[in-house]
Amino acid sequence: MNFRAIAALLAATVALAAPAHAKDELHLYNWNNYIAPETIKRFEAQCNCDVVQTYYSDNDELLAKLAAGARGYDILVPTSNAVQTLIGGGQLKRIDKTAIPNIKNIDPAYLNTQFDPGNQYSVPYAMSTTIIGYNDVKMKELGLPTDTWAVIFDPKYLQKVKGRVTVLDSANELFAAALKYLGYSVNDVDPKHWNEAADVIKKAKPYWAAFNASSYIRELATGNIWLVHGYSNDIFQANQDAQAAHRPFHILQGMPKQGAVLAVDNMVIHKDAPRPDLALRFINFMLEGRNSADLTNLIGSGNPNMDAIRYIQPAILKLPAVFPPKDVQAKLEQLKDLTIKQRRLRNQLWTEIKAAR
Amino acid sequence: MRRGSPWLWTAALVAYAFLYLPLLIVVVYSFNDSRLNAEWVGFTLDWYRKLFADGDMISAAGNSLVIGITASLASTVLGTMAGMAMHRYRLRVLPILILAPIAIPEILTGVSLLIFFVLLNFTLGLMSVALAHIAFCVGFVAIVVRARLAGMDESLTEAARDCGASPGRAFRYVTLPLIMPGVIAGALMAFTLSIDDFVITFFTAGAGTVTLPLQIYSMIKISVTPEVNAVSTLLMLLTLLLIIAAAKLSPSILRSNQET
Amino acid sequence: MPARRPTRLAKWLISGPPLLYLLVFFAAPTLIMVLASFRSPGEFGGLAPLVDAAGKLDINVDSYVRFFTEPVFFQVFVKSAWYAALTTVICLLLAYPLASLIARSGKKHRDLLLLLVILPFWSNFLIRIYAWMIILGPNAALAKLVNRVLAAFGAQPVPLLFSSFAVLVCLVYVSLPFMVLPLYANLEKHDQALLDAAQDLGANAWQRFWRITFPLSLPGVYAGAALVFIPALGIFAIPDILGGPDDTLIGNLIKQQFLETRDWPFGSVLSIMLTLAALVLAGTAAWIGRRSAGDSRA
Repeated sequence: MNFRAIAALLAATVALAAPAHAKDELHLYNWNNYIAPETIKRFEAQCNCDVVQTYYSDNDELLAKLAAGARGYDILVPTSNAVQTLIGGGQLKRIDKTAIPNIKNIDPAYLNTQFDPGNQYSVPYAMSTTIIGYNDVKMKELGLPTDTWAVIFDPKYLQKVKGRVTVLDSANELFAAALKYLGYSVNDVDPKHWNEAADVIKKAKPYWAAFNASSYIRELATGNIWLVHGYSNDIFQANQDAQAAHRPFHILQGMPKQGAVLAVDNMVIHKDAPRPDLALRFINFMLEGRNSADLTNLIGSGNPNMDAIRYIQPAILKLPAVFPPKDVQAKLEQLKDLTIKQRRLRNQLWTEIKAAR
Repeated sequence: MRRGSPWLWTAALVAYAFLYLPLLIVVVYSFNDSRLNAEWVGFTLDWYRKLFADGDMISAAGNSLVIGITASLASTVLGTMAGMAMHRYRLRVLPILILAPIAIPEILTGVSLLIFFVLLNFTLGLMSVALAHIAFCVGFVAIVVRARLAGMDESLTEAARDCGASPGRAFRYVTLPLIMPGVIAGALMAFTLSIDDFVITFFTAGAGTVTLPLQIYSMIKISVTPEVNAVSTLLMLLTLLLIIAAAKLSPSILRSNQET
Repeated sequence: MPARRPTRLAKWLISGPPLLYLLVFFAAPTLIMVLASFRSPGEFGGLAPLVDAAGKLDINVDSYVRFFTEPVFFQVFVKSAWYAALTTVICLLLAYPLASLIARSGKKHRDLLLLLVILPFWSNFLIRIYAWMIILGPNAALAKLVNRVLAAFGAQPVPLLFSSFAVLVCLVYVSLPFMVLPLYANLEKHDQALLDAAQDLGANAWQRFWRITFPLSLPGVYAGAALVFIPALGIFAIPDILGGPDDTLIGNLIKQQFLETRDWPFGSVLSIMLTLAALVLAGTAAWIGRRSAGDSRA
């Protein structure tokens, strides 16, 4: 009797541990909250398969896991510079363009870039910019500008918002912003300019509340933090949260006049993808205007899909940080990946910044 | 020291308050009718409803439990053996191997195990995570068991052996009951560590194997909603029920007295 | 008198399985990591090819040179050790009364009290960090109270969240049971008769504690200190989530090497240095523990 009970328990444990794989599965390794749940449901119905998502929160995290030999993913959604790195590392599978006719929907401005000439491996998915986010009431009260990196880096402005500012906990993003503030390109690799940027950051640091990668959306929305260096999607999200909670302020996006980082995220197929056929179907499906628009409507991401525009809420189309007009577009730059030597130097400067009092 | 008891009680109460206040807040805020969860807005059960509709979260919780139970059982057996071996014999290698996984930063254990699994062509998943968890839990169990054994009266076991008990019987009827509190404390610790572990799991989990910490980490990276409070409230409740059930099934399992 | 052979057999029977397991799942992977510290980082990540195109073997000490020539890395080390030491001391102060109470209470209550210590730690680690985000947040009662008091003394308001204070509180919070459990396991064995005898001889409560209880409990203290100090030294999630701009600890630095810079060799060097530091400390604690245990027995 007892033995039978134990056996049953063991069997139950095993059953729980190894769920039956009856259905086809597409493994999607994606940014958190970077696809609308209704889009997934639609695709699952169409392909009669299950979409299994795993998340990463940073390109570097994605690269690090793949470099460490992680396998089993079909689709990844890296940013352009990471796409370039992945191609260089031999991690991607070529995309058969005949299987994705919907690529015609993508704005040619986002195709055939230096990161993946001829789009042999990647197809644009969505975009974001790294900009200023702010609490409109507070910034008005304090009389601070919201269209310049100076408000993030210049102590003259910062002293009025001391302890209410956060910046991204990302060496690449923060250096890019500081380089822009100094009038250099975000991809400047001159060590002298990097040192200048590091000095700017060190002088501004005492005024910042934190280097923040995760919680600034919530802090903005609750009103704890008034000014951030952050991603346009996150700032959009913070405002939605603030409005849902009936806060007496808005969280707005400020596009710095010096320019900013543009991040284009792309769908790619991993070289060891278990189901490249499903992956291609998924890519083509996501290139349909309606499916692509779901994401923009959900998180306020930029969209390179021309067919998606008609499905997108007009309020989002009007945001210059999400759909930048031509003059702003000219000032946006995509980050390039650094060599290992440059990465080492940047990491050392970054550590010095973090350790400085 | 009995006269000092009021002080002791006060200090202990402060410590218990420190332990429970944060959890109480987590539980209370799981009923908070606000996505932002910064201050109390109103009572709702919405987050629990959302939770039960969230397939990702449920399968993650299932994975965590399976790994936690497997890892704590295996590491308790191995750790108790190691603790006893270290107490009884002068060993050279084992104590180092016991202390090292605790001393080494988790992240190093995680990355080195990942490379190891990849080199062996071992498929990453529940199994690799459980194997990794056992590796770092053994040491904790061994230390607790050994602390229990340290200075314990060894003559009892010897007496049992002198009276003709086989080593197995001496262990079963003398040593084991004596060290039981240590073994249980070790097992509880191992389960705690396993279900809690984020770093090592992060590296040793393959595609699609998501544990609760990984799932929560994903959520915390964007913005935590009270759904996370709800899941941890339920998890606390579940473990509480498990403990009560275990105590009911076998009343001696939690008893730390040495007479029985 | 049992013969020699069975003893030997027993020794291998009980030490063999854990030994084998740890050799395979701990020692071997670590060895691979140590080898990695003498290699160059690959351009994509991981390691550069062992033999490059020119046929040159990739073995060097560049990453070690970097560690020893840049003072900033050492600074981060010192700061981490300071945080971990503070955490250990605070944990000890909080855990001692708790462990004594549990050890001394009646058998009926003891299990419950012990369970109450461990129970909080079945909630997720990240959740416990998140709980402190709520408690320490600027709109929460605690921050308002503290800042009202500060304002009464004419001081500037301070943020509680995103500060070293938040990191420390949370470090203590997550480490506390690792101090309580070994302390309890030790205190529980203490012989009450010894204390009664001391009392009969006229020793007051304080003397009994310092002369008898505390020295006897030292093995538990050292075990607890090792269990608290070492994980605290390598932690990265807490400063990541609760820390202010200055709170970069060695754990964060190591995580950066693996998760951002993709510089495994340097990450390995940092980990090895951290490990050496931790092992030296643990070794010292064990040595002192053994010595004092010997003393108190004598």
